[in-house]
Amino acid sequence: MKHVVHGAPSFAHIEITLNAGDTLIAESGAMASMDASLDQKAKMNGGFFGALIRKFFGRESFFISHFTNMSGRDAKIIITQKAPGDIRAIKLTGGGFYIQPGAFVACETGVKLDVKWAGFSSWVAGEGLLRNYVHGHGAVFIGGYGAIYDKEIDGEYIIDSSHIIGYSRDIKLNVGMSGGIFSSFLSGEGLVARVEGKGKVFLQSRSVRNLANFINPRL
Amino acid sequence: MQIDILAQPANTITKITFAQNEEITAEGGSMVAMSGGLDVQTTTHKRGKRGIGRAVKRAFAGENIFLNHYKAERDGAHLYIAPNLSGDIMTHELQGGSLIVQATSFLAHEASVDMDVSWQGFKNMLSSEGLFWLKMSGTGKVLINSFGAIYPVAVDGEYIVDTGHIVAFDEGLNFSLSKAGKSWMSSILGGEGIVCRFKGKGTVWCQSHSPSGFGNALGRLLDPIVEHQQ
Repeated sequence: MKHVVHGAPSFAHIEITLNAGDTLIAESGAMASMDASLDQKAKMNGGFFGALIRKFFGRESFFISHFTNMSGRDAKIIITQKAPGDIRAIKLTGGGFYIQPGAFVACETGVKLDVKWAGFSSWVAGEGLLRNYVHGHGAVFIGGYGAIYDKEIDGEYIIDSSHIIGYSRDIKLNVGMSGGIFSSFLSGEGLVARVEGKGKVFLQSRSVRNLANFINPRL
Repeated sequence: MQIDILAQPANTITKITFAQNEEITAEGGSMVAMSGGLDVQTTTHKRGKRGIGRAVKRAFAGENIFLNHYKAERDGAHLYIAPNLSGDIMTHELQGGSLIVQATSFLAHEASVDMDVSWQGFKNMLSSEGLFWLKMSGTGKVLINSFGAIYPVAVDGEYIVDTGHIVAFDEGLNFSLSKAGKSWMSSILGGEGIVCRFKGKGTVWCQSHSPSGFGNALGRLLDPIVEHQQ
């Protein structure tokens, strides 16, 4: 499997070449176009109970698509995300990554999609009780609204929780207030994420939720 | 006529500079700015043709039923036009053949181009995107816009495009509404729903993003509109 990201950073879309026998796992509705020789199958996102949990607690789709190249020749597929923005590939070599709801775009079959307990503080922050965990071997594609920044963390770092799209397994994420109770709300920052540990954090420069918060009072 | 496409690809806008007596027809509401020396007529049809039937068809196609015709009274008059969504604009030069344009991707055409609603049959009604098509024929330039980037695909055989990602295609291509894989159930459950299967030889232009895809992602976060009782 080979991939090329076109149109970054505003309108990233990935051109993936599937060799004979290859399968690509993609988020529901992520296919923009493809060679007709590819076959698509809907699969429950991690078995029935896994899919159910992910749907209701992880805010992910119940079904995901598997695209398989059953023909004898290479075939291409164009994969995209819903929001206009960048897409990054994360190469997993046995490690794991947490991905925020909505940021998953696609992955190779060596990657496992799981959910893990995120804790009550995450739920209070509106980020859900569970979080999506990808691990194994292969490429995972994550998307963001706007540009994507990856930041190496060693120690403590503070991020607005609506701008995080993914972080490595060894990073601990706690949701809290950016300052005291007054400064947090007066500054408009509200709840922020405190990340701690050593690894990588992926950030998006915009947030669909914040766009909705901007539009809602004007409707 | 000189067409300059500026600020690609995210915030694209088109500047059209006219020679005297040149004409262009643009989608209603697309004008951003214009110089003096342009005569503007708003009609529901092509200038000099009867066209209420065509306007009704365009209204069904979810298009603005009004078209603006700009005619230059002098050399150097100019016009800026842009679509509503962020994305790219491309020009396509027709040389006697026909191009089928997905209705929301139409921006403008030169006066020598003829536009009609292309009724591709009842199959259109089945698509959740409300796909409608404008058939451009004749000779001259057509301006087309997209949500996101535009990528052309040279089809030789069969190719599948999600209904929300089609911008335009050569008339020589046949298309049918189809499923993404072997099973309808998989296509619908997998969120691909109904897709377009193109057959033959020709080019299909796709957009990197789907307006309804982003619309749904944003829409579910918006407050429902409360109807106030009188």
